[in-house]
Order: sequence, then C-alpha cells, then structure tokens
Amino acid sequence: MAIVRKLISQSTVDGPGNRFAVFLQGCNIRCAYCHNPETQAMHDDEAHEMSVVDVIRELEHCVPFLRGVTVSGGECMLQPEWLTELFLAVKRLGQIRNHPLTCLVDSNGTIPFSHYPELMQVCDGVMLDVKAWDEAVYSRLTGAPSNQVVRENLGWLLGCDKLTEVRIVCLSGRVDVETILENIAETFDSIGRKAPVRLIRFRPQGVVGELSNHPMPSDEQMNNYARFAHELGLGVTIR
Amino acid sequence: MSDIYSIVTSQKLSYEQKVVALAHAAEDTLSVLNIPERTRYYMESGVICNLNEGNAPYRPRYIMPDYEKAVRQGVKFLELDPPQDLDELLTFLQVLYRHVPSITTYPVFLGDLDRLIEPFIDGLSDEVVKRKLRNFFIYLDRTITDSFCHANLGPEATRAGRLILDVDRELEQAVPNLTLKYDPAFTPDDYAEQAIYTSLCVANPAICNDVLNRKTYDRYGISSCYNILPIAGGSYTLTRLVLPRLAAMTDDKQEFLTKLLPEAMQCMADYMSERIRFIVEKSGFFESHFLATEGLVERDRFVAMFGLVGLAEAANHFAPGKKYGTDPEADDVAEQIMQAISDFVAHYTCPYCEIADHRLLLHAQVGIDTDHGITSGIRIPVGDEPQSIYDHLRHSARFHRFIPTGCSDILPFDITGKQNPAAVLDIVKGAFEVGQKYVAFYASDSDLVRITGYLVKRSEIEKWNSGQAVLQNTTQLGAPTYASAHLANRKVRGV
Ligand code: SF4
Repeated sequence: MAIVRKLISQSTVDGPGNRFAVFLQGCNIRCAYCHNPETQAMHDDEAHEMSVVDVIRELEHCVPFLRGVTVSGGECMLQPEWLTELFLAVKRLGQIRNHPLTCLVDSNGTIPFSHYPELMQVCDGVMLDVKAWDEAVYSRLTGAPSNQVVRENLGWLLGCDKLTEVRIVCLSGRVDVETILENIAETFDSIGRKAPVRLIRFRPQGVVGELSNHPMPSDEQMNNYARFAHELGLGVTIR
Repeated sequence: MSDIYSIVTSQKLSYEQKVVALAHAAEDTLSVLNIPERTRYYMESGVICNLNEGNAPYRPRYIMPDYEKAVRQGVKFLELDPPQDLDELLTFLQVLYRHVPSITTYPVFLGDLDRLIEPFIDGLSDEVVKRKLRNFFIYLDRTITDSFCHANLGPEATRAGRLILDVDRELEQAVPNLTLKYDPAFTPDDYAEQAIYTSLCVANPAICNDVLNRKTYDRYGISSCYNILPIAGGSYTLTRLVLPRLAAMTDDKQEFLTKLLPEAMQCMADYMSERIRFIVEKSGFFESHFLATEGLVERDRFVAMFGLVGLAEAANHFAPGKKYGTDPEADDVAEQIMQAISDFVAHYTCPYCEIADHRLLLHAQVGIDTDHGITSGIRIPVGDEPQSIYDHLRHSARFHRFIPTGCSDILPFDITGKQNPAAVLDIVKGAFEVGQKYVAFYASDSDLVRITGYLVKRSEIEKWNSGQAVLQNTTQLGAPTYASAHLANRKVRGV
C-alpha cells in the first residue's frame, strides 16, 4: 500500500508525451517555494491508501492514449518498494496490451537511487530536481542539512543513462541558478553524456509562507539563465 | 419572387454570393424529380432534408478530380499542357480549380497538395517555395470564398508537406482546409507533431485515421466537411435524415425502430436514387463535362451519402432523463438506432454506385446553420461531454464504426497543448487505436475555430454579426451556428 495524494489520467507536464501521473503523499524536505505544501505531511485527509492493483485499475482504460506513467509527489522515493511493484505491474500491463509504457520518477533526489537496483531495472528514467548547488543555499531553501545525495544521484543517474531531465526552479536570490548550471555542465563533461535541462519559472500559486507574495522571475531573467546555460553547452527549455 | 427580390437587393451578400443564390432560385423553379406523397410529407416536416441541393441537380454534389492524372496528362478542354515547373504547376491548379463544379460552385477538394507539389520543388530553396506557396494560398483564400474547400496531406512526410504547414501557420487563413492522413506506420512522429502544433496555432490541419478510412475505397480524399470520398469520383448527393424530428413523432421506441424509421429511410433512399438517376441519365454531366470526358472523374467512382444528424437528441428522446455521451442507457438506444440504419443501407440497392457495391453510404452530417437543438451527426452535445477525453474518444469510436464516408470530433485544447504536441499526438494515436476515425482541434484562444467541420474566424463572425459584409460564405453559416450550438462552450481539453 502507498499513500496516494491523487491520480491524473492525462498530464503533459510530467515527462515526454501524454502521461498518467501518480502523486504520492509525503515529503522529507520543506522547500520554501513548494506549491503543494499539503503533500508534505506523510498523512493527510485528502490522501488515501492505494494498492498497486487499485492504481492499475484506474490506469487500464487509459493505456492506448499514453506514453507512460510518471510517479511524483511529495517525494515518491519515500515509498520505493511500492514504486517498484507499481512499475513492474505497469510494464506487465503494457506488454499484455502490446502498448509499451515507460515508467518515470519525478524526485527531489534526496534518496540514493543506487540503493534500489530492482527499482532502477524497471524505471526508465528520473526527472531530478536540483534545487540548489551550494549546501548553505540548499539548506536555507529546503530545511534539509545537505544536498550531497542529490549531487551523487545526478552523476549516478547520468552514468547509467537514467537521467530523463534535470529540473531547476528559478527564483533569483534564493536559488543559485548559475552555479547549478555550471556544476551540471561539469558533471555532464566528466561523464561524457548529456541530459536535457528544464528551467522552471517560480510561480507563487499555492505557495505558503515567506515566498507566497514573491514575484515570478521576468522573461528577461529566464532568458538570461537560458543563454547562460546555452553558453555552457547545455540543452535547455523554459517552462 | 420576393425571395429573388431580396437576394437582388441584399447588402449583406457579396456580388458572387448573389449570383450563386440567384442560380439556386432559378433551379428551384423546376420540378423534375418524382417525389411521392409520403416523401413530401417527411421533407415538409424536416425529417428528410436535401441540404438545399436544388430541385434539378446538374452536377454531382461533391467532385474529387484526379489531379495527379491531370498534372500528368494536361487538360485539353482548358488548353493546359502538363506543368514543367512549380510556377506552371500552381497556375495549372489555379485554373483547374476554377472549373471544378460543386454544390457551392467552389471546388470542395484540392487534391493531395503535398504529393502534387513535391516533384516540382527539387533544387528550390525553402524560402523560394514558401514564397510561391504563400501567394498560391492567398489566391485560394480570396477566390474560393468558402471554407468547405479541402486539401490533403500525408500519410508520408514530404518536404512539400512541411512547407505547406509552415505557410499555413504563418497565413492564418480559413482556406484551404487541410487534413493530414495519419498512419503510424508511414507518418513520422515529428511530422505529425508539426501538424498538431500547426493545428493548435491555426485550427488546421485536422487528422484523419488513414488505417481505417482507406478500407473504404482504394484511393480516397477528404473534401468539404470531412467527407471521405473516392478520388476520381465523388458523391452524387448528400441527403440527410434529421433524427430528432422523426423521433418527435412518437414516444414509443419500438414504433420508431420498426415503423417510422424504416419508412422514412425508404423514402429518403428512393429520393436519393431519384436524384442519382437524374444526374446520370438526364443532366448530361458525364457526357459533356471535361472532367468526365477527359477521365479526371469516372462515373462508376461516384457514391451517394446517406446523411444523419442528431443521433444524440433522438437517443435521449427514448431514454428520458438520460444523456447520450455519458449514460449507458442512452448510448444503447443510440446503438440500436445506428444498427437499424446500418442494416437498412446494407440491404438497399441504389443505381449507379458501383464502387460502393450499389449501396448508399452512411455519413455523419455536421448540421446546418438553421439547426437548433440538433447536434452534428453522431457527436455528443456541447455541455454533455464526458469528463475524461479518453471516454469521449472511445464513445466516438463506438459510433464511428458505422460511418464510412465521414464522421469526426472537434476538440478545443487548452493553449498549453502548444508546448507539448507530442502529448496531443499520443492522444490521437490512442483515439485511432480504439477506432476513432477523424479528429480536429483548435486552441481555446485561436481566432480560427472549427464550426462543424469548416473553419471560420471569430473576428469575422463579429464583423458579420455587426451587419458588415464578409468575404467568406462560411462566415454567414458559422455565425449563427457558433451561437445556436453553443460552440463557445465546448469542453476545453487541458493538456
Ligand atoms: S520536494 Fe517537492 S513536495 Fe517536497 S517540499 Fe520540495 S517542492 Fe514540495
């Protein structure tokens, strides 16, 4: 059983193509810009326990229209065994229907993927949030002491070709966007492989606390980041 | 008389529109078709509707010339030699289009434009080709002032096809309507995505399920409001059965299915046969028109479209309190009605329809401007659409399987779709996999919108509504339909 916040049968913002998205309840960090803070607690009145079979039942009639499934959160890697079981079932369903489905994870990268080889066997890729590079910046933003594991995950996922996308939520003053981009470029160079980078504009909708009235970065600011990334040889898109 | 006087003195009709309306009025002074009493009754009560085809048909309603053959052999009657380069080709087509008759007097089919153009663009840069295409498209839009006119692309990706899509997006015109024939085995994803992206910008092209539709005839094209018809042929006539008006005659479903419906269908089929016979035996079209005498159309490649409209309201009538589209009871009634219609046409023999085995072919007619409370063909009424787009498309597939000569869905998408055409393509692939046959979309913020099949600019509708003359005939049809069918309230699909 997993604690599921919600299911979306048609999503175009959770990875390539049209995807079925599963949002798990519970997160292990507290980002100041989190736009669904209600998913942070491990339990919530609006989340329910669901078995893999329950999810597959909802997924079944959507199969022909989908490229795959993405599990997001909260932080879905807090429930890794269930995730493995779900992906196995999704792959099986795709096989039976003769319609292969890809399985992606959307994660904050605080749990080492290398510890879950069985999961990584059925997971086609990870969309990794790199929230900050400098440890102090990261701590201030997320309340977590260290981002060592996130950095390791970046290299490890790239090394085994499971890095679908790197995501950076851009918010000037609170996120060291340029430093992140420099270090991503360095990691890509050292491993000799690249992954797409997505620059996500901070949006105050849903945010509670100190950033709830913080303005969005301007188009110009976003374009500057993109240009900077481009100069580093990174392939970026802005959302 | 007063009708003719009002045509002559109208300030809302353009000169060309007046000429066409006057020709219609003249034709309707004749009475050459044998129409029995009972048929007249159904026609007068609006159950059988001939869509203003006129009382004495002197050409088939829809003509699908074999343009490839014309380009190969030239057209003697028009003193046109086979074109040798792109300029000659575009001039050739412009002249030929001008002479293709149809119910609207404008050509409803412009051919597989990508295939026609592709052999002529070797050695020309993209910029040069696009400049020529731009002029060609502007000419079409301003002279074929009726967006029932349709050109086809695909299923293979071609350089010409890509350039046509580029030009189409840049020009934002209602004419020509475009449809991409899509077959996952031949159409590469990036090409289909370009088409979808274009569609989310300018509501064009629509996407046709090539795998299913090519089962109907060996060579087909899409014309007018997504009519699926044989190339080098066409359709003699399209007459439609207005199901809700027939349903209103009884509350007893059994009586409807076993008495009224069979009788009305028999009347309509006989009436269609009468029209076909007149065109073939009396009008002289096939003996004298150059398209026929030069082999650009063949008489035995014409079919006749048995249209139906308002399945939703008819089904709802016999399933009180239930809604076609979301309630199984209403959907099951609809299926019974469709099965009855399908069985009827499978057994009725009509004259001169060799390519269809002498059967009338079903068509989901999209409606006309004067329909109120009657939903297009077999579509789900605006406002009753299922919550899930997948359920919507599966529902369509369930009823599309009955219809060989055209049926479609129109889906407005949230503007975010533009950022992920690949996702929209996934949905199209799924739709086609479950048996949906043809889909069109537009973005919720687009100026160009699809009314029932044809395209109209919202800005032109506003002009027309404020009493100004507009260039496109279809704006006049679209303006009232946009309002009366509540098309602004179509369920927008978020992506
Ligand atoms: S990782 Fe995601 S869910 Fe967790 S706090 Fe940060 S933004 Fe919110």
